[in-house]
Amino acid sequence: MSSVSFVKIQKNAVSSVKQAIHEALGLIDYSFKKATKNVVIKPNLCYYWDYSTGQTTDPRFVEALIGLLREKIVPNPSISIVEADASAMKCRHVFRMLGYEKLARECDVKLVNLSEDQSDIAEVTVGKRAFRLRVPRTIQDADLRINVPKIKYTPRETKITCALKNIFGCNPYPKKSRFHPELKEVIVATNKAMRFNLCIIDGNIVSGIQPRRLGLVMASKDPVAVDAAAASIIGLNPDMRYLRLASKEGLGSMFFTPKGVSLNYFKARYPKKDAETKLVNMVYSLVVRMRLGRRIGLE
Amino acid sequence: MKKVGLGVIGLGYIGKIHLRNGLKLENAHIVGVSDLSKRALDDAKILGVKKTFTNYEQLLKEPNLDSVIIGLPTHLHLDCAIRAIEAGKHVLLEKPIARDVKEAKEIVSAAQRNSVKLMIGYPHRFNPAFRELKEKIESGELGDVEIAYATFISSGPFFHRTVGYVPSPVPEWWFDKELTGGGALMDLGCHLINLLRWYFGEITGINSYLGYRFNIDLEDHAICMTQFESGTTGAINVGWFSQEYQLKIDLLGSVSHASAQHRPENRLVAAARMLTTGISKLYWPHLAELQYFAKCLIQDSKPSPSGEDGLKDLEAISLAYKNAVDLERWR
Repeated sequence: MSSVSFVKIQKNAVSSVKQAIHEALGLIDYSFKKATKNVVIKPNLCYYWDYSTGQTTDPRFVEALIGLLREKIVPNPSISIVEADASAMKCRHVFRMLGYEKLARECDVKLVNLSEDQSDIAEVTVGKRAFRLRVPRTIQDADLRINVPKIKYTPRETKITCALKNIFGCNPYPKKSRFHPELKEVIVATNKAMRFNLCIIDGNIVSGIQPRRLGLVMASKDPVAVDAAAASIIGLNPDMRYLRLASKEGLGSMFFTPKGVSLNYFKARYPKKDAETKLVNMVYSLVVRMRLGRRIGLE
Repeated sequence: MKKVGLGVIGLGYIGKIHLRNGLKLENAHIVGVSDLSKRALDDAKILGVKKTFTNYEQLLKEPNLDSVIIGLPTHLHLDCAIRAIEAGKHVLLEKPIARDVKEAKEIVSAAQRNSVKLMIGYPHRFNPAFRELKEKIESGELGDVEIAYATFISSGPFFHRTVGYVPSPVPEWWFDKELTGGGALMDLGCHLINLLRWYFGEITGINSYLGYRFNIDLEDHAICMTQFESGTTGAINVGWFSQEYQLKIDLLGSVSHASAQHRPENRLVAAARMLTTGISKLYWPHLAELQYFAKCLIQDSKPSPSGEDGLKDLEAISLAYKNAVDLERWR
């Protein structure tokens, strides 16, 4: 069974976040290898919403992580922060708008738009379904890949966005909406094609029904265990088809050993969906399913 | 009853609102629409529009067309408005009138030269809450309004963070100062400047502080200190930085105070209203605006806010940019 650690960030400051990440890694007995040369960090930069919305990874969280990497890995490795263009988001804008260009200048790290990176085709199967996915060279060449996702609800069939879904964002193909009809399979395939070594969840500010400072750092080497824990925190049953599929495909275990602060502490504080939001989402799904969106101007 | 023949040029966010509203009018009918996007034109067909064009020049040749609503990106206003005006069509041009004062002057003088009606799309002039403020000022109920505090905050061109909805792409032109002419002050500030000019007369002085939370070339928030010929001092606050929409005006007078605001309704009610009537309450002022525009054409009266109003608003914004204060120096 995998370990997942839960640590409370004491103060809303980079030094405090760094301390919390350090503790979270200690609880899962993770230590950085001295010989590491290339590190890739994948935050969640899904759109032009800044960290205060809880939708995107806080650059200060990544700054704290970079500080820790610089301390623990000698000589200093090359660090790349990666993201790919998406249907509604362009990296060249998102890096600037969300403060990552400033971070890159100040911390001497690279920003890589995976959609513009060289890539190779990987053939991956999920069940009987075969996928051909482009794997960017920056990810292939890294000897340490760190996934820094958020914990969010999503209207998609996966219900949550956390570790596994964040790696779907490494797919260099920008029009990701074309994958939505078989989203869970593509997410699992992408995670199989691009294995990340470590998940460190930025749960300092979370979105939920509305943004709230939860002050959580969660860490694990197992993305499936992290997603199962995240599902519990946001009030969903972790026994989801999506996670069962990921587990069956060897990406990790849905069962985990919690370490550190009780999961229930964060679960009680996560801003969960209320009845009104659920109803609005239901109406919206109905509109989409009945293909009424274009008629009434919702699309 | 005579019906005005309307055309909609540009079926982006605002063009679609005008189209849906135009289809509801009793004193007008939609002759046709124009957009480069085939999908947008297909959507218009679904709504019942018979004639769709990828080139607006073809729409302008339609014999039953009296006027056009232009909802194109700001950098395309000049060309399109001039062509429509020279084709003898009356124009409802979305705000801001143009990217800069020079372009705005060209549009206004073309309309004057061709005796064409030119109205600028400021829907909040038709919002009952803001009209009521005007009545209170004119009736003397508030006394002398010394301070007007106006705020318009939204997510601007960046999609609202709402659980259950998927973000839409931001058109590239929004990121280019050359194409927009300005940021939040231009986009949202023009509404407030127009409303306050309507209330208190011409602007005699204006300066501004411009903020850049998102590190792009365009200001994403601004505060303007404004002096009006009535003697009122206006504090104008605009921003693209918030996921919560707020449009509010507070008037502090020597006798009394008054406030008005325009706010989105409860999401559930809004969703139900969209499903049943096709228009959310947020866009009722746009419907009233279009009704008024059609009425002006039928009655042959000059619409207000006019092109000259749009020009004056832009002159004020241009001066606010010129007089922008660098707060970094204060630190």
